[in-house]
Amino acid sequence: MVEERRGGEPEPGRVSSRLLLETQGLTRYFGGLAAVDHVDLTVSEGEIVGLIGPNGAGKTTCFNLLSGFIRPTAGTIRFDGDDITRLRPHQVVRRGLVRTFQLTTLFQEMTALENVLLGLHLHSKKGLGQVLFSRRTYPPEEVARSREVLDFAGLSTHADQLARNLPHGHQRALGIAMALAARPRLLLLDEPVTGMNLDESGRVMALVKTIRDRGTTILLVEHNMKAVMGTCERIVVLNFGQKLAEGTPADVSTNASVIEAYLGAGLAHA
Amino acid sequence: MPRSARTTAALIVVVALLALLPFVGGDYYIYLFALVFINVILAASLRPSLSCGQLNIGHSAFMCIGAYTSALLAKDLGVPFELSLLGGAVLAAAVGLGIGYPSLRLRGVYFAMVTVAFVEAVRLIASIWVPLTRGNAGLSGVPKPSILGMTLTTKTSQYYLGLVLMLVVLVILGKLERSRLGLVWKSIGLADNLAQSLGVNIANYKLLAFTLGCFFAGVAGAFYAHFIRFLFPPEFGFLLATNILIYNFVGGRGHFAGPIVGAVFLSLLSEPFRGSAYETIFYSIVMLLTILFLPGGLITLPGKLAGLRWWKSAAAESPSPAA
Repeated sequence: MVEERRGGEPEPGRVSSRLLLETQGLTRYFGGLAAVDHVDLTVSEGEIVGLIGPNGAGKTTCFNLLSGFIRPTAGTIRFDGDDITRLRPHQVVRRGLVRTFQLTTLFQEMTALENVLLGLHLHSKKGLGQVLFSRRTYPPEEVARSREVLDFAGLSTHADQLARNLPHGHQRALGIAMALAARPRLLLLDEPVTGMNLDESGRVMALVKTIRDRGTTILLVEHNMKAVMGTCERIVVLNFGQKLAEGTPADVSTNASVIEAYLGAGLAHA
Repeated sequence: MPRSARTTAALIVVVALLALLPFVGGDYYIYLFALVFINVILAASLRPSLSCGQLNIGHSAFMCIGAYTSALLAKDLGVPFELSLLGGAVLAAAVGLGIGYPSLRLRGVYFAMVTVAFVEAVRLIASIWVPLTRGNAGLSGVPKPSILGMTLTTKTSQYYLGLVLMLVVLVILGKLERSRLGLVWKSIGLADNLAQSLGVNIANYKLLAFTLGCFFAGVAGAFYAHFIRFLFPPEFGFLLATNILIYNFVGGRGHFAGPIVGAVFLSLLSEPFRGSAYETIFYSIVMLLTILFLPGGLITLPGKLAGLRWWKSAAAESPSPAA
């Protein structure tokens, strides 16, 4: 199915040729080790791109570089044409590049609704004066918008539960909902379905596709190959910090060097 | 009765009792409770910074700055109390801003170490800068507080001033805590990387929490200066700073009422030991007991007791298997 789509022309109106994210020679050293080594990565508007690779390949470092949590040793990151290489995390988010975290990084001691309200932080226009003199804690329009986002992520019945009391799958969905509340143009998902059963991961991947169809471009890191192959239109493979291969799921899964990286050189040569 | 109405009713009763205290208690109780009000302001003003995850073990330094500034403005320059209090608070906040800006990028124990060093530095400056502060001889003869030109000569009137100051500070801090600002502070304490990834400029929010805390510590210090009318540098040392922190931990960090409960409870209970070495021992033991048996602080005690009673009654109602 994926091969058919990618074999011919890209579906009209879905993948435009406009570059949203572009890195050139992105490099990050930790001591003498190059965690990310001259990676050129591009994501076009409307794509779902997967970033895969064996453990320690530099995927998470890549995400941390893109979202401004660490600074690159060399190279540039451009988002929608602007250089964002030296921006701090909250400034990157303001441009519309929002990330989620591995595992369940949530505000555990807050309700699901409060978590999403924080995602709306950027778009809130309340000043300090209003904070001190208004009777309402949260403006009704922000609460309404947060409930919409929760509803979209399938969490409407859990709005007032503490995040830590939610089942694992719901916690992951909440993480995505918070990122969505920040209205991303490009959403970076770090292992959205890791540790989920088939049913749960299917649901999250369907959600990811819906998010894309509503106009948000997606770059995701994931170990669950079935989920990656079934959802992504293009895949970039990293190994030892370098880009090993790039292409459609079909190209990548038959690429000899990718198989070698995953199964080990010994096996491939044997 | 809904929970919020019950809380409001309880608050009104407490405030009414505090307002009536001077009519039933003697000078000793007036004096004691005025000091409790100061401790409550100090404890509550540390909370925003604590909820951002910043361990500030130097809060008394800002109280000291507020106290000396207000006292000297009033004594040497004849500035009226309202303005000298504001001056003390503003200077405490300004110094907080100066200290906080470079050091709030430090995390956990490193930030704590800066605050410890700072509290000792301020105490030493107050001891050594004799021409200004009279050093360890103490600064005496601080004018009594006045409102709109009327000097509050009696301890009772000064008690009411303290009560009003405390209530105003608590209302402001409570409002902030329940606002989006409070939510952002809490989010930074819970997971600062996630807060950043949602667009929160965590450095600015931490600095705001810290500076605000310093401002109110300055208010507490200014009131202290004009109420006690004698300032002595060692009073503002490391010991007071840790006490303020202990009020927060013993009272409980999970709720706005935590530091208030902690400050009231510990200030009253430690009264027999005040000024002696036993005070430190008492605080240490209470802190240890709290960490061991009530990690959530005193505010979680009613809930725990209710749970215990429920468990007992449930055990009594269910027939024993032997019967």
